[in-house]
Formats: sequence, structure tokens, C-alpha cells
Amino acid sequence: MKNFLLFLGLVLISTPLFAQVKGVVYDENNNSLPGVTVVVKGSDKGTVTDVDGVFSLDAAADATLVFSFIGYLSQEAAINDRQHIKVYLTPNVINMEEVIVMGYSNKTKTEVSSAVVVLDNKELTDVTTDDIGSMLQGKVSGVQVVTSSGQPGQSSQIRIRGISTIKPGNEEPLYVVDGIIGGTFDPNDVETLTVLKDAGATGMYGARANKGVIVVTTKTGKTGKTQFNFNSSLGYKVADQGNLSMMNGEEFYGMSQELYRDPETHQIDKIKFYKFYPRELESTNYDWVESAFQPATSQKYYLSASRKTEDFSYYASGNYYKDNGTFRNTGYEKLNLRLNTKFQVNKRVSLRNNISINANRATYYDYMSMYYTYLNLPWDNPFDANGNPVFVDGHTDDWWSRDHINPIHTTDNSEYTSRGTSFDYDFVLDVKIFDWLSFSSSNRLSYGSDKSHTFMSPLAGGTYFGKGYINEMQSTWYGAISTNLLKFNHEFGDHSIDGLIGVEADGGYYEFMSLQGTGLPEGFDVPDVASSEQQIGGFNTTEYFRSFISQLNYNFKKKYFLTASFRIDATSNFPPESRKAYLPSVAASWLVSNESFIMDNVSFINLLKVRASYGITGDPDIGASRYMGLFSLSSNYNGQPAALPYQLPNYGLTWEKTNELNFGLDLGLFNRVNFTMDIYKNVTENLIVLVAQPLSQGFEYRWENAGNVTNNGIELGLSAIVVKTPSLSWELGAVFAKNANVLSGIGSSFYTTVGGVSQVYRDGGEIYTFVLPKWLGVDEQTGAPLWEKINEDGTTEPTSKYADATPQEVGNALPDFVGGFNTTLTWKGLSLYANFAYQYGNDIYNSTRRYMDHDGHEPYYNYMKPADDWVLWTKPGDVATHPSQQNAELSRENSSRFLEDGSFMKLRNVSLSYELPKKWANAAKLNAVTISLRADNVYTWTKYWGQDPEVNLQQADWSMPGVSDFKYPNNKQFVFNIDIKF
Amino acid sequence: MKNLYKNRWILAAFAIILASCGKMDVAPTNQISTESIGNTSDGIINVTNGNYALFKNQVDFNGFVDDNNMYLRQYFQLSDFASDEIVCGQKTEDPLYYSFTYTHSPDQANSRFFWYISYKIANGANTVIEILEEQGTDDNAQKQMLGENYFIRAFVHFNLLKFYSIAYTTGDPSTNLGVIIRNSTSGESQKARATIQETYDFIISDLNKAVEFMNSQRGSEYASKQAAQALLSRVYLNMENNDKTIEYADQVINSGRFALETASSYPGLFASSLSHNETIWAIAFTPVDNRGKFGSIASMLYSDGNSGWGEEFASLPYRNLLAENLNDVRLTYIDTSFNDNGAVRTKNGIEVFYITKFSFQDGDPNLSSPIMFRLAEMYLNKAEAYAKKGDESNALAMVNEIRKKRGLADNLVNSVPSGKTILDVVLDERSRELAFEGFRATDLIRNHRTIKRNYWGYHIAGLTPPDIDLSTSPTGYDNLEIPYDDSRIIYYIPVDEILANELCVQN
Repeated sequence: MKNFLLFLGLVLISTPLFAQVKGVVYDENNNSLPGVTVVVKGSDKGTVTDVDGVFSLDAAADATLVFSFIGYLSQEAAINDRQHIKVYLTPNVINMEEVIVMGYSNKTKTEVSSAVVVLDNKELTDVTTDDIGSMLQGKVSGVQVVTSSGQPGQSSQIRIRGISTIKPGNEEPLYVVDGIIGGTFDPNDVETLTVLKDAGATGMYGARANKGVIVVTTKTGKTGKTQFNFNSSLGYKVADQGNLSMMNGEEFYGMSQELYRDPETHQIDKIKFYKFYPRELESTNYDWVESAFQPATSQKYYLSASRKTEDFSYYASGNYYKDNGTFRNTGYEKLNLRLNTKFQVNKRVSLRNNISINANRATYYDYMSMYYTYLNLPWDNPFDANGNPVFVDGHTDDWWSRDHINPIHTTDNSEYTSRGTSFDYDFVLDVKIFDWLSFSSSNRLSYGSDKSHTFMSPLAGGTYFGKGYINEMQSTWYGAISTNLLKFNHEFGDHSIDGLIGVEADGGYYEFMSLQGTGLPEGFDVPDVASSEQQIGGFNTTEYFRSFISQLNYNFKKKYFLTASFRIDATSNFPPESRKAYLPSVAASWLVSNESFIMDNVSFINLLKVRASYGITGDPDIGASRYMGLFSLSSNYNGQPAALPYQLPNYGLTWEKTNELNFGLDLGLFNRVNFTMDIYKNVTENLIVLVAQPLSQGFEYRWENAGNVTNNGIELGLSAIVVKTPSLSWELGAVFAKNANVLSGIGSSFYTTVGGVSQVYRDGGEIYTFVLPKWLGVDEQTGAPLWEKINEDGTTEPTSKYADATPQEVGNALPDFVGGFNTTLTWKGLSLYANFAYQYGNDIYNSTRRYMDHDGHEPYYNYMKPADDWVLWTKPGDVATHPSQQNAELSRENSSRFLEDGSFMKLRNVSLSYELPKKWANAAKLNAVTISLRADNVYTWTKYWGQDPEVNLQQADWSMPGVSDFKYPNNKQFVFNIDIKF
Repeated sequence: MKNLYKNRWILAAFAIILASCGKMDVAPTNQISTESIGNTSDGIINVTNGNYALFKNQVDFNGFVDDNNMYLRQYFQLSDFASDEIVCGQKTEDPLYYSFTYTHSPDQANSRFFWYISYKIANGANTVIEILEEQGTDDNAQKQMLGENYFIRAFVHFNLLKFYSIAYTTGDPSTNLGVIIRNSTSGESQKARATIQETYDFIISDLNKAVEFMNSQRGSEYASKQAAQALLSRVYLNMENNDKTIEYADQVINSGRFALETASSYPGLFASSLSHNETIWAIAFTPVDNRGKFGSIASMLYSDGNSGWGEEFASLPYRNLLAENLNDVRLTYIDTSFNDNGAVRTKNGIEVFYITKFSFQDGDPNLSSPIMFRLAEMYLNKAEAYAKKGDESNALAMVNEIRKKRGLADNLVNSVPSGKTILDVVLDERSRELAFEGFRATDLIRNHRTIKRNYWGYHIAGLTPPDIDLSTSPTGYDNLEIPYDDSRIIYYIPVDEILANELCVQN
């Protein structure tokens, strides 16, 4: 029997019906296409084209080959006894068979019934950064990205469809890397990035999907021959101070005289002024900002190798990124290694192993150094005669700046560094049990560690002068997640059904340790040498998450689609009675363009699809034990343990859930224009809120479920190929999103307050609404500041007494709409690209103006240069914006005076790239060489009178959305990039 | 079926995972739940320690730990910067400046924090009191804990009255508003202010229990029977109940636990308060509690150039008061700063006379264990009470008890100088002795005196350095004199309380 089988095998192999077919695949411009999948129709036999677009495989002479490649229409070609085949693929603007990675399951564009946006690597990496948020800005409708700091290595903030949660903590969307929740990735390794926006898509992530989901797929081997890719960037950047510049010595000399204006005559008493301020100060000019900031460079090196064979594929990459900061002694460097492999063990079993290793090192700055850099006076020289930073202290008599601190000297004699490592290992087993049933087990082990090091040399002026200070903190994270799914599919007639059912278990253990001490010998910066005031700290927390997952998809004739999912999630963060959340979702779509009345009659419509979805999502990110009454034990009295009142109990605390309703329309015309529109209504119920308590309770707030927020919005996305010839093309893209929110069910209003600035939460109000005394300007007669006082009968009157001013709603930190647009002009190998991002209608509380626009309250702090429309009151009758310095009591206390329009439009990126002609590249034994010149953050149009209108949106008990404090300015960057494939 | 069999292990694993529900309960590792405090052997002690710690800790407020935010720092600054013993050498954005200028607002961070932390201490005290009162106890150590917490609760309420209510002696205390009384952890979150009389009654009632329950001595780091009696003396002094003032002061004096420092030991008292006999109760700071430049009490009052800001100095009238006798050892707590030319250093035109009552524990310029009660106050409480009773000789005797121990044995006050009253003599001596310790403004207001600050300093609005002529006194400026009944003499109730507690009336 065995011999017979062997015999039969030999016969089959040698049968003349099978022959080797060779061929080349080209694109529309006659360039060969590597990486095209070639499959013998009706079998699972296939291959991919190599770097020259060449393929070869065995196939029956009468078989048909199917060619498919992302971005191109898939094409069939009958072999017809040929041994050499040439195939030309046509680019497809609307590739309906494009697979969209949605996490637990993948769907083709045809099947998707929800609001999702896919970006590929090329669309992301036009901006040179290490931060995925910066790459997304202005590219996806409904996604607001804020880069509020120019500190190298700092992440930007991403908000999808407005704000659906108002509790402090993590407001970033959920990341899913390679199908598993969480994980790390380097932007260079990203193959595609899918933004899931409505419950039809995010419902599968149920309890964690409230804030939207970003699904990242890293690269895999594509071609039969090993392909290498080298990419390198060199950047040059300068700090972008926006509209902020500080006064020079002469300007400050002039401004300082305002304090010497006689209250009676309104003339400046110059004699008195000169008595204290020598004339030579007028020509003394040291630029602190220029001294502390300098142009900096960035560099990136990326190398990858990948290959795919029938039973094995791999992708290996290494990436090194180094970003020097524009602020003295700051920077960031990072090393990333990734190895993705996939073994096809046999026809039924495949194994995927992904390893991602990351190591980084950042050098930070001290907030006070940034503060003094802006506020120190141009009359003090930061450097001595030898060009070294000069040491000053409280007893330095010849020094004008208020606090007698030289931030440059401090910066040079201190260190703020952090070192991070992370390691992720994914193990994915897929087993095809039957043709209709498969089992998939996706598992990840992760480890992450961060260590910070703060060091003040004994040489640094200030409180640690002569003794030094060291503080080190170490946090470590261990995580494990396992997702186990049974997937099935079945087709009968025109009906197609598939789905999955499974469980997921997730756990994490976080460990924190800190130590500090003083009394260091000069020149040493390790904890071992600290001789006094040693302190230790540390704790650990554990979190568990359990889920049941199910999904069912049905379609009829590839025209009518239905998806339903149901999840049960449980988290250890909530009290036992309210741990579980039940989260259903349903989505349906009708692919109108697959109906014969469109296909047959309206040829210019390539795509017309209407979608609807509804589902419930949740958000458990509140941290452990928020429901318990607690006393903290991390303190001491007289060397004995001390317990401090820490938290009020609320055993009724439970999930906040969002009911998401979405209607969408996708339209493709002439194979050139793509239009997407979504409208949605998201109602988050049982908002988890830190409800402010009367301080006389001894607690600032209590964790409570209080009220609802409704987000209504519309999102538009448009892309169009305006010109398309073999040598010239011009593409345009635009996204726009408008979102409005309203609070309800709150009952009695509550406030959040950070640094004396408050925001109110009330029925009918909006999230992040500022409540401040309303600034009415300056009294024309007296020059005194005016605020609005609202009397009990509702009438209003101006008052110059700050304590009488009525705090009221004066603005909002959220924009009315956000978006972006881009244009790409390509002529042969030359391509010019520009990308704009904008937002409109938000207010920024410009907190720094309290210090640098200080009305003379701080005679030894510098002033910022005034905006064109600022007017200082100098005499009765002046219509002024700034009060008389003789009559400015409490003028810089928090009020709407410092609330400014934060709208902006930013030319985010311009790039000019040139792909060398193939023959040149080939002559150098390379496949493709592209060089490009780019500029990031080229220009910002804004009325905001500060550093940069991209302002923090993080809601935390230490940070208020929309408030701009002293910050690390963003950068303008110019980059040279080269990309080589070989 | 065969396939199913072949894959049985996968299905079995799947079923196991499906069935497992796993552990879900998580307890914090560095916090204790409120319910379990009474169940552990040291829970009560830890919470009581916590209540003491809150006087010295920098506590998270509005989301972060601002180094400024420490009960004692705010307590001394809100008291003494609004008085006439300390002069402001520099304008600043720190709200401490508003105490000098009397330009208070409901949103000033120091006052908001002081209010908050006072009630947090009350919450801790209430937690212990409720547990022990419910359990009932005969154990002396537990009774001591109960008494200490009654004392602490009374102390924080009394200090709140000092800043947020007008004086007991001004107007009608049975109608004037005191503060919110927090005597339970479970009461309504919104609560109205009690009257001044009700607040005093509450404080006295707590202190009587404190005296009753405290019968152990744990060292001057902790409250004691005598600390409660000392506070009763202080409370009655403010109520002008002279007999009770004397009665409780005598109980402390006669306890035999304490002794006045001598002229030779007094200069070391404040740098090592816990090891001196005069100290009744002090808040213990250990080296790890060093709050440095940004948070120590000393940092505004003293600097070695780097240790502190050193922006507020001993005022001219206070220096004049001490300078009456150069033998006065209390001069040792004023440290004149000289510039490179050997002249008195000036800051923005103001002469730099550092104050060192909060420095030099373990030699550190920012470290001290501030004294809350010491024996000298008891003598001076008696002095004031006798003065008001018209008992001039006993009042002078008490003043002289102090002077004898301060290097002035040869300069006793044997009669009231002409042009002065016996109360003037007593108040001057209280100032000399208790300066910078949070007494002066209250002493003046209680006695319906005007706070006079006719000296150069940045409490004067709009002052610029060239205005200052140290050979003259400033005239014609606002803010030089604050009458005892000025509406600005008290602080605003913090805006947070007003917004979240509709029953609370603003000052």
C-alpha cells in the first residue's frame, strides 16, 4: 500500500499536466512589482514575486493564476499552456478586497460595516519622529492629536471622537499590536495602522474601547528572495518659540520705568528711576533663551531584512534613533529590535513568534530651569569671562534677576535621565481543526522597566549646594495576556456566515521602588555615596482582567452584511458586586454598488456603501482600589509609621459605559475619488468622576459615578486623484471632524481645580469648560483692572476688587472642529508632499502670562514682548488692555484675561522626494533608492500669544486640559532622508 | 470525529481556560482600609502618628505635592506675615505675599491648603475617636490615644478660628460665624459654619476629655495632659476668661514637668526643642523631614546664600523692642547679614536681619522641630490675665519671671513706665518672647489694638527701592495701619469650600 502511494505520488509529480510557469508582474508604469501574491486559483498553492517582480511555480497548464497586491486590483490570468506570463496590475484606489486588520478578526473592505481608517507605513512616516501620534496628526478624521511638548521622546496625546471620559488617568486610545491587546512597536516596523472609531469595530474590545482603538500590524516577510531595506534620516532642528519672545535689555529698561509713573501726574519719575536703575543697564543685553536653547540634530538608522517561503517567513529589523533636544542637556535615544517569524508547521498548524525589544534613554530638564530661562533678566550675564556658566546665590549682590538662580549653571550641574527597556514576546498558534473550524491562541508576555535618575551636584546653587542630592526610581511591569478563540465559517448558497467565540485572560503586576539621599562627595552620582537623609519608597499593584468574547458575521450575496458581537468583561478595579460588564454591539451595511442596478447602469460609481452600527463600550482605567476607604502608610512621624487619610470609600463605584450609534457612507467615483462620511452619537453613562468634596471633609474628592456625556459628531474624509498620467499625478486628501458634547444627569455641579484654575461639570454644560472671574479690561479713569461681578438679582457690574468678581463660564478647552489636508504632486520619480493640520474654536489658558505679563508685580522677572493690540494704561482716558502698574492690585490672578483663542493651522510637513531611476539603482545593484528633503512644523498660523497652541489635553489631578504652563517648546525640523531597498 | 480526537488537547485546554474565573481581589500594598484600622494591633497608633505627621508633611493638594504646602509653614506665615514683627523684603507671586499686603482672595493657595489640611487632620482624629469610643477601653495606652486625638481635633479647630473668624472679643460670639465643626467621619458632606461660641464650646469640651484621658507621658513630640491644659489656657485667654486662663496655666506650671530655659540654654532651645525642658509640645522633624529651600519654614526667614529664599526679615519695631537691652538673649535669634563691604546687606532696599527660630537642628539651616506650646507662654498668659484683672503686681511678676531667664535679671520691670499701661508692658514682653511663633497678630486683635507697620517694607503697595529712605519712616502710604476690626483681618473661606458646600457662608 505504501509503495503504491509512493508510486502514485511519483506519477502525479511527473505528470505532464503540471508544468513550471514563470512570469513577471509590472505596475502601470512598467516597473516590476516585488511582493505580489500569485496563487493558483482554487488551490492553496502559491508564491510571491521576488525583488524583480519575477515568480515561478508549478501549475496545471489549464489553471488560472490570481495576482493580488495591496493597492492594486487583483487580476486573473489563464495559463493557457504558456510558460512565460507578463502581467500588468492596475492600481486600485478603492481596493475592496484589501484586508483590514481589526484585531481579533480580519475583514475585507467589502465586509466592513463600521467606521475604520487604515494608514500604511508610507502615509505614517512622512514626519520624522519616534512618536506615532505625531504621525497621525491631521490624517484621520475624528482623531485629534496634540504634541504639547518638544522634549525628545515625549509622546503626543491622541483623542478619538472627542472626550468620552472625564476621570483622571489614561485617556489614550487602546493599542492592539499584532492582534493582541497592548504591546510595543516602533513606527518604522508598522505595516498598517487601523483606527477603529465606532462600536461596530471597537465593540470587540468591549470594556476597554471607550476611547477608540488603534490596531497596529507590524511587517512580515513578503517576497521569496530576501529583501533588505535601509532607511536613514539626518535632521536639524530649532526650538519653535511661536509668538513668544522675551524683552531685551533695552525693552525691559523701558518697561521697568512704568513702576515709576507718579500716581498723581501720570509722568514717569525718571530721577527716582535712574537712582536705582543705572543707565548702562539700557545697553546691557544677555539673551537667556538663546543661551539655553541651541539648534540640535536628530538621526535615524533603520535596517530590515525579510523573506517569505512556503512554510516560513520572517521580518527582522533594527532601528536606532537619536534625538538631541534644543534645550540644554536634553535628548533621547532609542534602540529597537524586532523579529517576526511564522512557521507553517503543516497544512493545518501555523506558529507565529514575534519578539520586540526596546531600549531607550532620555535626558530631561527641570521645570524650574525652563522657568528661569524665560524669566531671568537680560541684565544678568549667564556666563563668566571664560564662557562658563556663572554661579550665583542669594548673597550674590550684583545680580538683578529675582531668585538669584542661573538655570544654565544648574542644568550643567544636574542630571535628569531615564532609562527604559521593554520586551514583548508573542506566541500565536493557529490550528485549522476542520475547514470550517479553527482554533487560535494568541499569547503575549511583556516586561517593561523604567528607571529615572535625578542628580544635583554639590556645586549646583540652591538648596542642595554643598551637599548634593540623588533620587532614583525604578518601575517594573510584568504582563501576560492570553486570548483563545474558536473561529468558524460556513457558506451555503448566497449566505455566508462566520464568527468566533473565546476567552481572554489578562494580568499585570507593577512594582515601584525609589530611593534618595543627600550628602554626596563632589563628582559622584550614585546612591552608594549618599551620606545623609536617605529615604526609601516602594509599592506594588496587581490588576486582573477576564473576558468572554463572541462575534457573528453574516452576509448575503456580498451585498448585505451583519456583524454582532457580545463580550463580558470583568476587572479587579471595581468592587466585587460591580466587576462585570456586559457589552453587546451590532453593525450592518449594504453595499449598494454591488446591486445590479448600480453595476449595470451607473458605471462611474465604484463604491457605494451605507453603514449603521450600535454598541456599548466601557473603560476600566481607574487604577486599583479606587472604591475603598483608605489610609496611606507611606509616611512617618518621629520615625514611626504613620497612616494618613487617603481616600473616601464608595462601594457602589461601577463601570462607565458608552452607547455608540454610528451611521456611515462610503462613496467611490470614477476610480479616482473616495469619500467617507460618518455621523455618530455616543452617550457615556455613569461617568466616573472625582467629585469635589467640601475641603472641610478633609478630602478633596471622592470617586463617584456621576452623570452622562453625549458626544455628537460628523466626520468627513475625502481623497482624490486630480491628475493621473503615467508620469504625472496629483493627489489631494482632506479630513474634517466636528464634535460637540453635552453633559447631563449630573445633578449638583462639580468642579475640578488645578493651580487655582477651575473647570465646571454641570447639566447642559460641556466638558473642559473654564470657570474664572470674567476680565472686563481696564478702568479708563483709574487704570485699575476690572472684573465682572454678578449680583444676586442677576445684574452685573464691573468691579476692581478681585475677591468680588464672580467666577463664571468663560471658555472651553475643546475645539469645535479639527482636521487636516494634504497634497501630493508626483512627476516621474519626483514627489512633492505637504500636510496641514488645523483645529478651531478651543480656548487656551495661557498660565505663563501670569509670570511674564505681570503688570509690574514681579519687578525682577522679564516681560514677554507684547502683542500688537496690547495697550498699557498710562493716564486717565486711556482705552487699555493692561492696567496701570500703580493700580493693578491682583491683576494677574486667574481670570479670563489669560484665556486666549487656541485655534491654529499648522503646515505640519513638507517633503520633496526623488526616487532614482530604476536603471541607476540597478546599476548599483540596488532595487530602489529614494532620497528626500523634509521640513516639519514649518509654520503655524495662530492668534495665540504664547509658545505654541498645541496645549496639554491630559486630565489629571495635576494637569488641567487647555492650560499652558512653562513647557518645552516644539521644534521646527529639517530632515534629509535616504531609503534604499536591495 | 477523528480530527476532533486528534485535537482533543487543544479543546481540553480551551475548556479549562473557559472555565477558570481566576483571582480577582486585589488589596493595596501601601495603604490600609479604613474598616481594618481598629482590627490591627497598631492601626490606632499609626493613624494617630499620621495626625501628627500631617502638621509637618507636604501633602498632595490639587493633584501634586507643592513643597509650599505644609501645615506649619502656612500656619506661621498666615499668622506672622500679617503682623508687625516681620518685614517683607520682596514682592513675590507666592501667596504668602498677600498676608503682608492684606490683599487676600478666596483662591489663594496657602489659605486653601491650610483649611484643607486642618480638616484632614480632624478626619484622622475623628477616625480614632470613633473607633475607640465605640469599642470602649480601660487600657491606659488606648485612653492616651483617645485623649491625644481629642486634643488634636481641638487644636486644629482652634487654629482655624484664628484665621477664618473674627476675634471672640469682637462683637457677639453667639451670632458671629466660627468655622465648620467636623466631629464625625460619616456626617453630611455639606455643613454650615457654627457660631464662634459654638466652636469654642466644642473645643473646650474636646479639651476637657483630652485632659481626662491623657495620663501617660510619651515625650514632648506628642500631646499630653499638660499640652491640653496649655491649650485651654490659650483658649480662655482668647475668650478673656482670666480666671480659667490662670487656672490652666498654673496646672501646667505646677505639673513639674517643665522649666523655663536659662539665659545660657535659651539660645539653643529652638534648634533642639525636643530635648529642652521648656517645651510642652513640639512637632518632631527628623532629618528626612527636611523640607529644604522650597518647603521649610526657615527658608523664607533665613538663608546661608543657598539654603533658603531669605526674603522676610525681623522688622524695625521688633528689633527696637529687643534693642532696649542688649543683654537680652532673645537677640540671638536675629542674625544680621553683612555684605562684602561689611555693611548690613540690603535686599531691595530693606536691611537683612534673618530670623533663626526655625533653623539649625542638627546644624541644618532648614531644619527645626517647631514648638507649639512652651512654658514661657503660660507665664505670659497669666501676665495678660492678671493685667486684665487689674492685678498689676502679679502681672509684672509674671513678666519678670520671663525676663530673669532671658539675661535681663538686672533689668526687671518693677513698675509700669509712664505713658504705658500694664497691658502694654505685657504685650511688649509677649512680643519679645513669642515673636515669629504665631502669636502677635492674635494678641493685638484680641486686645483691640491696631497693627502698626509704619516701617519700610513691601507690605506697602507700589513701593519701589528708591522710595526707601531708612533714615525716615514711610508716611502717606496705604496699609501702614490695620485696625483690629478691619474686614481684611481674616482670610476668605477657600473657594473650593464655597463651591462644594452651599451651606458655608463666605467671610
